[in-house]
Amino acid sequence: MRIEADKTADETIITVEGDIDLYTSPELRKVVLKAVPKAAIGVGIHLGGITYMDSSGVATLVEGLRSAKEHGKAFTLIAPSTAVMKVLELARLDSIFEVRSD
Amino acid sequence: MTESDTEFLRLEVSSDPRLLGVIRGVLQVWLELVGLAADRRDEVVLAVDEACANCIRHAYDGRIDEPVELLLSASAEWLEISVSDQGTPCPAECAEYRPLMAPEPHELKPGGLGVKLIHRVFDEVRFRPGTTSGNCVTMRLYRTAKGGVESED
Repeated sequence: MRIEADKTADETIITVEGDIDLYTSPELRKVVLKAVPKAAIGVGIHLGGITYMDSSGVATLVEGLRSAKEHGKAFTLIAPSTAVMKVLELARLDSIFEVRSD
Repeated sequence: MTESDTEFLRLEVSSDPRLLGVIRGVLQVWLELVGLAADRRDEVVLAVDEACANCIRHAYDGRIDEPVELLLSASAEWLEISVSDQGTPCPAECAEYRPLMAPEPHELKPGGLGVKLIHRVFDEVRFRPGTTSGNCVTMRLYRTAKGGVESED
């Protein structure tokens, strides 16, 4: 998994690529939970390059969303890949996230 | 494959989260080999990955050098995958089937999703915690969908 955070705009964009699983999700969790309170308006997680995501990845996104709500920030999934949408649908969590295409 | 044929593959890996990607890769190849439709492979890989992750997180409490064993078998009618460990037996209620509903955002709790995903993907799930140590979860998927992912909780 590769992570890049870009905080130049009002929205902090975190771009993640590769597999999010039990091994890699703790790193993503750290980056997301650190970025949320510092973001000007909100955080966008770009998930277009995700090849696999498990329930620990889902839990990480859920934690990010909760943290964003607590801090009054936006939390958006950007261009989620098929792998991401599939697990969110299986978990019945596809409708709780704000999603946009780019 | 004739009706009586059953193909087996046994894998033993250590409980290191870095190896989960290797297990997923092997599973993809095996599922293709035994002829599971491409659109069903990814969710089977996900559910088995969740079972392995549960061994690491719960039975072994994150220890990375303990054994996790996978037994993969396929017949003309079904695929069966069991995942076992020699760690702390999990309370049986942890693996019970619970309906999966879309929660309200304020009700969201991270975690606890893995078992639900396993139940959504497989047609039959049997969980057998050992009396003193170890756990085994056996997951069966019928080739002609008896329900599986399409069935409603």
